[in-house]
Amino acid sequence: MSVKTEHLTYYQSTLAARRALRRRRMRELLTALLFLLPALAFLTVFVYVPSVMAFTLAFWHYHLLGVNTTWAGWSNFSDALQFNVFQQSLANTAFYAAMMVPGIVVLSIAIALLINRVSRFYSFIRTLVLLPYATPAIGTAIGWLWIFDPTYGLANGLLHAVGLPASQWLQSPAMAMPAVAIYSLWHGVGFDVVVVMSALAGVPRGVLEAAAVDGAGAMRRFFRVTLPLISPTVFFIVVVTTIGALQSFAQVYALSGGTGGPEYATTTTLFLIYETAFVYNHYSYASAMAVILVLIILALTLLQRWMGKRMVFYQ
Amino acid sequence: MIKTVRGFVRNLTALVVGLSFLLPLYIALVTSLDTKADVFTFPPHMTLDWQWQVYSRAWRMFRWLMYFGNTLLIAGLTIVITLTVSILAAYALSFIEFRGRELIFGLILLVVMIPSEAHLIPNFVLLNFMNLLDTYAAQILPYGASVFGIFLLRQFFLSLPKDYWEAARIDGCGHLRFLWSIALPLCRPVLFTIGLYIFIGSWNSLLWPLMVTQSHNVQPVEVALARFLENNSVDWRRLSAASIFTTLPVIGIFLLLQKHIIRGISRGEGIQG
Repeated sequence: MSVKTEHLTYYQSTLAARRALRRRRMRELLTALLFLLPALAFLTVFVYVPSVMAFTLAFWHYHLLGVNTTWAGWSNFSDALQFNVFQQSLANTAFYAAMMVPGIVVLSIAIALLINRVSRFYSFIRTLVLLPYATPAIGTAIGWLWIFDPTYGLANGLLHAVGLPASQWLQSPAMAMPAVAIYSLWHGVGFDVVVVMSALAGVPRGVLEAAAVDGAGAMRRFFRVTLPLISPTVFFIVVVTTIGALQSFAQVYALSGGTGGPEYATTTTLFLIYETAFVYNHYSYASAMAVILVLIILALTLLQRWMGKRMVFYQ
Repeated sequence: MIKTVRGFVRNLTALVVGLSFLLPLYIALVTSLDTKADVFTFPPHMTLDWQWQVYSRAWRMFRWLMYFGNTLLIAGLTIVITLTVSILAAYALSFIEFRGRELIFGLILLVVMIPSEAHLIPNFVLLNFMNLLDTYAAQILPYGASVFGIFLLRQFFLSLPKDYWEAARIDGCGHLRFLWSIALPLCRPVLFTIGLYIFIGSWNSLLWPLMVTQSHNVQPVEVALARFLENNSVDWRRLSAASIFTTLPVIGIFLLLQKHIIRGISRGEGIQG
């Protein structure tokens, strides 16, 4: 770098060289803009402009054919907030997230610790755990519909085996969402297991051995050494799982047969937005719901960032 | 002695936990191969009966080959377009020095902060406006620029020594030629990982194709399967068979290329996968 600067100052004494330099900079800028043009064009058309449009759409009564577009003011928002199914969809989504976040965190750490200490079939077991992550929701729903079948399913078979009363699972308003969460844990935990495993690989052995020499038991070593050291990863998982849970759609669609039932019990907010817009064609009304959901997601993300700064141990 | 027993128990527990993840898929397989009488029994029986007839019946009911073709076409074109767009942008953001570079990069990263629900409905309205609803393009173009791809490639380009470019430039090499014959061959593994994630994401996507397609001719295999499940909701064997043969390809690709997927996730690349 310094050599280059020296050369530049030397040549800059002549006017021609300065002009050449300016021309070169201009050419570089043009090349860069040309290279960036496709990406910026795609993002403008499919992200920037639509994101602004979402807000404007929500303030109109918009119809796809372009007729009778009238100003709605805040009415779409107030209608949505007073609509009992929308309220329920927010509650359902929150309920689902409240099951998913602790579920994913605990399961992923437990499974990662288990696999990490295994001497045989290490990568085979990791493959099995990660496999569902790559599979589509619709394609894998059928096995789960069967597991949750009230009469013939395996879930009730298990409950029966340990002497618990049978459940209606996906057909009961109370148990449908937990059933969806169980499916989603199966589907998504493998990703987080791999993330935790790579974090565990970064925990220095020496520290753990020193703790063991000092007489710390396995539990104590985990909570006092391992967990603080992997806390940035755990925090990452909490953030990603929360956002993912607030955007759940495919699993609900697949397990409720595209209905969001029974009795709206599995209607998540995104599912309701989909239904309002694309089944009932109320685009503006659905946009207002989407704006509310987006604001909730953004608020939660900011809140989590703020909390993360205080609670996470960064080395 | 106690130690070996403990180790054995641990290995066995891990194996059981691992295998239990296969259970839902195995159940679908059992159901699809059952004799008709065995489908509804309690407790459920778990052995394979090898009754393959249901498969050919389920296969003949839908034009599956066309749906597979659609999915492959959509995934393939998305990969080509997204990679091209991402490479060009990432190159400009790492090898070319110009004023406002950080600003543009920040503008691109801003996209990560916007939840996709924000542009879901407007995108639909815009596609309708452009007369693109119910086409392949509607399922490809919205994914044309991948922030995740640009970010990864930029990281990679920044890790390459600057001397490569300086040396090439002194020899009279332009940006396009440098990109094509030096930077591109070097980033092949990164391109492969990004392409793989796009492929799996494309195969598994449901909400967007449900929204923008109506005619069967352009629908991907997942949407077709969803319709198949609704139309045949009484015949569990047929449903299971169709679920299995539409999911097997993506499972096969996962098993073949899992090394790359695991490496990608460990490096934090799979966030949007």
